[in-house]
Amino acid sequence: MTAEKNPNHKKIKDKDFELIQAINSGQTDKFHDLVKRYEQKLYNFSLRMCRDHSDAEDMIQETFLNVFRYLKDFRYETKFKNWLYKVAASTCIKKRRKSKFAPDKELSLDEFLPGNETEVPDHVPEWALMPLDKLLNHELSSTINQEILSLPKKYRLVIVLRDIEGFSTAETAQILSLSPSNVKVRLHRARLYLRDKLKGYFENDLR
Amino acid sequence: MFQQLSEYIDGELDHVNCAEIEKHANNCLACFTCLATLKRTVAICKNIKDQPVPQEFSRKLKEIIQNIPKTTSP
Repeated sequence: MTAEKNPNHKKIKDKDFELIQAINSGQTDKFHDLVKRYEQKLYNFSLRMCRDHSDAEDMIQETFLNVFRYLKDFRYETKFKNWLYKVAASTCIKKRRKSKFAPDKELSLDEFLPGNETEVPDHVPEWALMPLDKLLNHELSSTINQEILSLPKKYRLVIVLRDIEGFSTAETAQILSLSPSNVKVRLHRARLYLRDKLKGYFENDLR
Repeated sequence: MFQQLSEYIDGELDHVNCAEIEKHANNCLACFTCLATLKRTVAICKNIKDQPVPQEFSRKLKEIIQNIPKTTSP
């Protein structure tokens, strides 16, 4: 988790800069302020990565313990938030428990090709056209969270970082130590997978 | 073209490829629908609300943080 050693790098002074400097200069009681700042983001990230709450809680604890352990090595080469997610993603990848909700398989692009759909559509479905705020509700959020959990982990990490946490392609690539093109490939397949699940959800429930 | 739809949605594609996708999608309902539903999927993901942290867990986390041996680091 140590940042790259580049003595000439320019420090990124984000909103956490001063707090981290204070912690690293000995004010360790301020670490809790840093935890409070990211607790909710990390809690939700962990819930989307782990199937059950107990695993998610373990993941958050391990992440913050690792952050505390390695904070002195943080060299401000990225925003702290990006480094925090790198630690969290790494903690998550290490927790590779077998789960029926997380089969470790490849998603093939061919299975999502529009021509392969059983019926060629004669119209654009309503759920793609109606105002988004009319569509979003608790049930849909719950469904999409469940379907995200059913994605294989390598795709799940990418779509959660890109589309839910809002990191750019370059940032996601850096957090996961992947190439940007690899991030794009995984993201596209993950989105197509979720699109299929949403299509089924709306069609089956005749929404 | 199909494999570039996400890059198109994200504005990461050059003008030539964008124009090609738009031209095709405007003449092919299957692809137009695929693009519309994919865009909507992304929008739904971007608008999922976060859950609040349960107070009990927040307290537990605070306790764990307070009990980290201060010699560990920083």
